[in-house]
Amino acid sequence: MQVFSDLMWFFKEHRTRYLIGVALLVVVALIALIPPKVIGIVVNELAHHTLTHRRLVYALLAILLSALASYGLRYLWRILLYGGSIQLATELRDRLYHHFTLMAPEFYHEHRIGDLMAHSTNDVQAIQETAGDGVLTLVDSITTGTVVIATMAITISWKLTAIALLPMPLMAYAVSRYGKLLHERFAVAQAAFSDINDRVQEYVSGIRVVRAFGQEAWERQQFVRLSRDVVNKNVAVARIDSLFDPTISVIVGLSYFLSIAFGADFIVHHQMNIGELTTFTLYLGELIWPMLAFGFLFNIVERGSASYERVQRLLEIAPAIQDAPHADTHVPTGDIVYDLERFTYPTQDTPALKHIHLHIRQGETLGIVGRTGSGKTTLMRLLLREFDVDQGDIRIGNRSIKMVTLDALRQCIAYAPQDDFLFSATIRENIAFARPNAALEEIEASARLAQIAHDIERFPEGYETLIGERGTTLSGGQKQRISIARALLQDAEILLLDDTLSAVDGRTEAQILEALRANRLGRTTIIATHRLRTIAHADQIIVLEDGMIVERGTHDSLWAQGGRYHDMYQRQQLEAFVEEGGATV
Amino acid sequence: MMASESLDFVPQASGQHTLRRLLRYMLPYRRTVIFALVLLLLATATDVLQPILIKVFIDRYLIPRHFPKPAMIGLGGGYLALVVMTAGFNVAQLLLFQVLALDVIQTLRVELFDKVQTLSLAFFDRTPVGVLVSRLTNDTEAILDMFMTVLSTFVQNITVLVGILIAMFALDVRLATYCLVLLPVTVAIMLFYRKITAPVFHRARQRLSLLNAKLNESLQGMAVIQAMRQEPRLREEFGTINQAYRQARFRNTQLNALLLRPLMDGIYLLALMLILWYFGERSFAHVVNIGVLYAFVTYLSRFFEPVNSMMQRLNFFQQAMVSSERVFQILDNPDLAPQQEGDHHPVIQRGQICFEDVSFSYDGQTDVLKHISFTALPGQTVALVGHTGSGKSSTVNLLLRFYPVQRGRITIDGIDLRHFSDDELRRKIGLVLQDPFLFVGDVSSNIRLGNTWITDEQVQDAARFVQADTFIDAFDQGYHAPIGERGATLSTGQRQLLSFARTMAMNPAILVLDEATASVDTETEEAIQQALAKMRHGRTTIAIAHRLSTIQDADMILVLHHGEIVERGTHQQLLAQKGLYYNMFLLQQGSTAAP
Repeated sequence: MQVFSDLMWFFKEHRTRYLIGVALLVVVALIALIPPKVIGIVVNELAHHTLTHRRLVYALLAILLSALASYGLRYLWRILLYGGSIQLATELRDRLYHHFTLMAPEFYHEHRIGDLMAHSTNDVQAIQETAGDGVLTLVDSITTGTVVIATMAITISWKLTAIALLPMPLMAYAVSRYGKLLHERFAVAQAAFSDINDRVQEYVSGIRVVRAFGQEAWERQQFVRLSRDVVNKNVAVARIDSLFDPTISVIVGLSYFLSIAFGADFIVHHQMNIGELTTFTLYLGELIWPMLAFGFLFNIVERGSASYERVQRLLEIAPAIQDAPHADTHVPTGDIVYDLERFTYPTQDTPALKHIHLHIRQGETLGIVGRTGSGKTTLMRLLLREFDVDQGDIRIGNRSIKMVTLDALRQCIAYAPQDDFLFSATIRENIAFARPNAALEEIEASARLAQIAHDIERFPEGYETLIGERGTTLSGGQKQRISIARALLQDAEILLLDDTLSAVDGRTEAQILEALRANRLGRTTIIATHRLRTIAHADQIIVLEDGMIVERGTHDSLWAQGGRYHDMYQRQQLEAFVEEGGATV
Repeated sequence: MMASESLDFVPQASGQHTLRRLLRYMLPYRRTVIFALVLLLLATATDVLQPILIKVFIDRYLIPRHFPKPAMIGLGGGYLALVVMTAGFNVAQLLLFQVLALDVIQTLRVELFDKVQTLSLAFFDRTPVGVLVSRLTNDTEAILDMFMTVLSTFVQNITVLVGILIAMFALDVRLATYCLVLLPVTVAIMLFYRKITAPVFHRARQRLSLLNAKLNESLQGMAVIQAMRQEPRLREEFGTINQAYRQARFRNTQLNALLLRPLMDGIYLLALMLILWYFGERSFAHVVNIGVLYAFVTYLSRFFEPVNSMMQRLNFFQQAMVSSERVFQILDNPDLAPQQEGDHHPVIQRGQICFEDVSFSYDGQTDVLKHISFTALPGQTVALVGHTGSGKSSTVNLLLRFYPVQRGRITIDGIDLRHFSDDELRRKIGLVLQDPFLFVGDVSSNIRLGNTWITDEQVQDAARFVQADTFIDAFDQGYHAPIGERGATLSTGQRQLLSFARTMAMNPAILVLDEATASVDTETEEAIQQALAKMRHGRTTIAIAHRLSTIQDADMILVLHHGEIVERGTHQQLLAQKGLYYNMFLLQQGSTAAP
């Protein structure tokens, strides 16, 4: 029941809704007392032949009124209580989403997207059920239970009430016992299901081996065995499940039997009349649901509180990267200076970068080359403050990037990341991602600079072409160029291209670089790449190896050095030649 | 990846057709179905008899205040016996129906699996692993819900409803006729509810997919969103979708509150009024039986439970139909793997492989293989080299008959590849994969796979032959050492040696080697090369090579480029040509002779 007090903030916030809802539940429980009472009265008068037309009409009217009233009120409390739980779920999802947008990459390394999705869907759903069905069951079973039992005991016969209720503890026991068994066996069945899931996953992934070794029959045998196992485990669940309702009906039947048998005895001894007995059994019928519901309540609440805890734990994680107190809100501008002793990713032991001392003058182009894992991307991510540096500092225009707000910092940087992530939206929306209100002319201009305009114009829908899973599939090179256009539209002082030209052919690449040089006069560009010819014209080139700068200079000076850069350059020329199927004759 | 599967899915077959097809799966179980139905009828009968006993008790004994002992014991005992019998029959029929549903799903699952086994590899290339797994497990599970719903909820509840009506008729024909009005009313409400909520329910589901898709995409693209400072905009967008979903859900709740339980409760009270009115009116002219009134009131209170539970199940039913259609789409998929043609059952003996002017295209547009012709004599090694996408893997895929030969001809020992049985091909052609795929199990199960005819001894011989025995013996449990998912506990080299042993245990006549690109330490590399040399000895071998150093002794090297053989010859001949092979070799030697 802890979860109800955990959710108290919400109940308080929506106090009127819940107060009225609960009050209505009580009123409905009271109204529900009327029809059985009326029937009892009519039965008595029938038995004693005292019924008159007028009294019959009154009786019918009383039932009609209670029918209308309870229909209206039942509708209302459902809207109030279930509406409240839907509202709660909506608020929780908004909170979670808001929270996700504050989380730095570190968070996304630690939590798998699938898990985060599960928290935002399944867990929120379970909480919603607790706040809806849970609250309803709790209030309803308590109010209906007490109101009905009290009425039976006070207005009819406390003795008969006690006798009739004798089997009820059995029911509570049966519900909780079966509930526990069901829960356990269901968990076992789920595990079997997850086994077959894993097995099928393995089968599909290894389909080539299966086919090549002719293992189809064997695989079938495995599959049949595992799915048989799922069936058997589910039969175990069904065994309990099919006991559930019949057991309840035996207990209820027993209760009715006791009521009628002892009720008859009371009637004979004039402690009761036949009408009261009829009313009594009808009340008894109204008690079954609250008793059952109380058994289920524990289930709902248990799931809800576990889910609430998980969501809460997620929401309590503080963002790893935050604005410093009194951080500068002015957009930084000027030379970029890296003064890094070392940087290690939070989850790793070996540093990703060591002794990086770099000065990039405003307007310069820096080229970074090196193998995968040499630290090129890390260098860019640090400038964006995706991670914070603790041994050393990075400055733009002589201000530490930690001393400006994240918003201001990221405003001066346009970034085309390595994994050209595009959204399932139109091309236009994708290019205008950072500036959703940009005019179409501007978008087209960026697309032209990124040499993607021709490709886009060839699509029937042009800039309105939907891309992503449900739209047109783009080639790797097209995606990269859209990602570049998106970065260019930001019109920021600093442009980061993180290996964003790898899937673009040589000629187009040259055109993009040419367009960039003309367009980005006076602004700083940092390009990381495998392909040396991409950065041959850069003002400054650094060669990274194992997180350290091993060579630096311009293309000419590095070529002249005859070191790693020189070797790499020659190799790449030969590689390109072989790739084109070239042969020296 | 976006979680938008349900959005993409367009139902094609009509719901009725799908339902009929599903129900056909119950045909083999008709005996059980009938037995369960009989039990259900018995349970319903004993159930509706109970109020009649009480009626008899009230009218015949309670009102006249006359309680003969034998009658009392008979009635009381009879009532309790009925209660227990009802419970007993119900336990049995509920269990039978559930087990039946589970068995039906088992049949469907195995049928689906069998179908998947016959599908072409092209199908697997096109279909993401997750989707296929979901078809086999989650979708069939959703259909299970359908069977449980149809059998347990609909059939049972309808039987109970009919039982109650029959009992009512037995008690009082006129009143029962009046009560019959309840049937069309409830059916009308059900249909109305279905009609009015189906679009709302659908909309809610659609908005939920949208919500999930948005969330999923945002989580994946969070780095971009943050770098471009679009958090507030995205929050707002998410908020809008979230609100839209809330509205749909709220509308759903509204309709449920308007048309489900509260309405049924209201109708129940109206029906009560009808009964009271009927008895009241009659009492002015006749003597009425209180017991009958009591029985009617009892029946009425039970009438609406089945209706309520059926209405709540309607929406789940819809979901199951969507899943069924997805499953049937796979069952109806015509894209089958190539099968044996003719029934000669030729046998591979010498292992001479011949490609005769073979061209191939995956998509029917661009050829990935163009006019490939070559012959590998028995015992020879033919190596395929070339860049990614040059056609090496496609050549091998055709030889293994993973894909059908479209143009040209492949023969083994002069017999067209199409005439061999799957079994013959799989046993005589041993594939050694680039990325050795290991299964969860232990060392020996990974060598033997499902071939139970391979003895423990042969398993160990195979391991010894490729010198995998040294590391296997070092395991505490030796050949029974457990292997985790994808063999993650083993090193790359060990995984490769195990997959070699797997191939050797089959003792194939022909070897197809897909060389690993992953680098291993020099010592392991040496062991691997030794093992490969031993394996190739006396077997016709087609080898895909990435490192030219490993195939210098090949009898023939084919250099592929864009699906064509551009150079062919021995290592020495090709070097002397100073062509593409020569340059590739230079590149791999790490030297940098300019072109």
